[in-house]
Amino acid sequence: MPNIKLQSCDNEVFTIDYEVAKCSTTIKTMVDDLGLEEGDDEVVPLPNVNSSILRKVIQWATYHKDDPAVPEEEENKEKRTDDISSWDSDFLKVDQGTLFELILAANYLDIKGLLDVTCKTVANMIKGKTPEEIRKTFNIKNDFTPEEEEQIRRENEWCEDK
Amino acid sequence: MPFISKDWRSPGEEWVKTEEGWEKKKILECSNLVVEQHNFNPRYADDGNENECANEFSTSWMRQNRLKEQTDDESNKENKIECYSSQTIGDGTIQPHCYITIKCTKEIAGFNGLSDAFKRLDFKSAVHDVRRFNYICKLLDLLITYKLPALSGCAQKVLFKMLEEVAQQVSTSQQNIHLLNKLLDQLRVIIDCACWGHPLGSTQLWENHLNTINRIVDIANSIRIREPSDESFPKLENLPEECIREVLLRLADHKDLEASSKAYSVMARLCDEQRIWRELCLFHFTKQQINFVLEPNDSKAAPDWQRVYHKLRKAFGLREEYAEIIQLCRNCRCLFWKSIGHPCIADKNPNFMDKLQDVDKNTLHVPIPPQAFLTFFSL
Repeated sequence: MPNIKLQSCDNEVFTIDYEVAKCSTTIKTMVDDLGLEEGDDEVVPLPNVNSSILRKVIQWATYHKDDPAVPEEEENKEKRTDDISSWDSDFLKVDQGTLFELILAANYLDIKGLLDVTCKTVANMIKGKTPEEIRKTFNIKNDFTPEEEEQIRRENEWCEDK
Repeated sequence: MPFISKDWRSPGEEWVKTEEGWEKKKILECSNLVVEQHNFNPRYADDGNENECANEFSTSWMRQNRLKEQTDDESNKENKIECYSSQTIGDGTIQPHCYITIKCTKEIAGFNGLSDAFKRLDFKSAVHDVRRFNYICKLLDLLITYKLPALSGCAQKVLFKMLEEVAQQVSTSQQNIHLLNKLLDQLRVIIDCACWGHPLGSTQLWENHLNTINRIVDIANSIRIREPSDESFPKLENLPEECIREVLLRLADHKDLEASSKAYSVMARLCDEQRIWRELCLFHFTKQQINFVLEPNDSKAAPDWQRVYHKLRKAFGLREEYAEIIQLCRNCRCLFWKSIGHPCIADKNPNFMDKLQDVDKNTLHVPIPPQAFLTFFSL
């Protein structure tokens, strides 16, 4: 089956190579379950992804379609947040909204590699920052009550570097 | 009367005047075709994204090309061709690499110039590569803390140039601000005790350095965290817990985890999960180390991994890892970046290839962590 049709939530249809689409475990399972075969004009609906994000996901998947699968024992590599290829780091020079949408899409479509690299990018934005700076970076409202803050402070006290 | 060669300061060197001062021609020749690492990736060129970084480097690129034309004219054409064909890969870029003398005595180490190595290994543009940034920061950290007074004026100049690149990179990416501040704090300690003679050497050079340092401090002080607008959607708060957990699983030390848990209640809840701390332990420590800390009578009850992590951290220290590292080729005694490779004599010389048949290929390239890198030079 060389090509597959994907439909975004805003009803745009993308025709792409099945080899590319297969990196999404979600799509792969759907195709297997639906029993799609060559020549079928079936369209796979993706109600959680809009067209602009789907376009980016396809761009990423096309570039990475020949990547070797990550062996299981190397799972610990995920902590190496600086291990992002230069193509990926340029690909992810996007605004925060797009970055989070890509995380959501990678999570929904179950694309391990894309989820890994987007989460690494977010982790890099957290690295070495104070709680106040983290809140500012992501525009998070401080949702702790003073009592809770005090409690967290006390919990962490014993392990701080003395 | 002692023999004094024509140019006794460095016999046989040809010098070229550049915007940044006089430079040895051999160094320019090896670096003027060095392009950002992006371009080594053949697939990269197909993509539209390249324009952004192309602009960033176009200025230095143009300057380098102009220099290349100059040097081309002067040099012996035949030598040139041979040297390029051996040092270039595919698209005509030179892999940054640097030959050194190993097993050195103090005298021999003098021939391994640190500033030359910095230039040949293209450290200045490597700062802008996420994969190499941490390695270079660690190197700068070691140099500034322990070695700054012992560096030659030229090496100091290159060091401050690199630091300025780091500051610029940090300011545009808004990442690793803490590393920049740490470097600057250490630098301040040195500057405060600088006086005539030791450790600064030439006063004029030191004044130039001070100007550079002030520029760097200005860049560092003007870094403000850009807050995303309120309309930007989705925000971190809109991500489901499973995605935020994935992010936390990628943080590699307790300080980041604690800061995140203080920043946001969802992260605080997730940071209480055992899984996050267990995986942190498995990343930093070996099975033996973990078993050493886990008390035998604990084995029935599930261990508190956060406690285990802190015990391990105090006993063994955290592991240091770099995505990209300098390696030493044992065939040609050449330092190079692991992912970029280098022109090796073994690839060119069939006799050499034969000799290598019995050798374990895996031992040919030795990774050189930042501490080891500095031992090659007389500092």
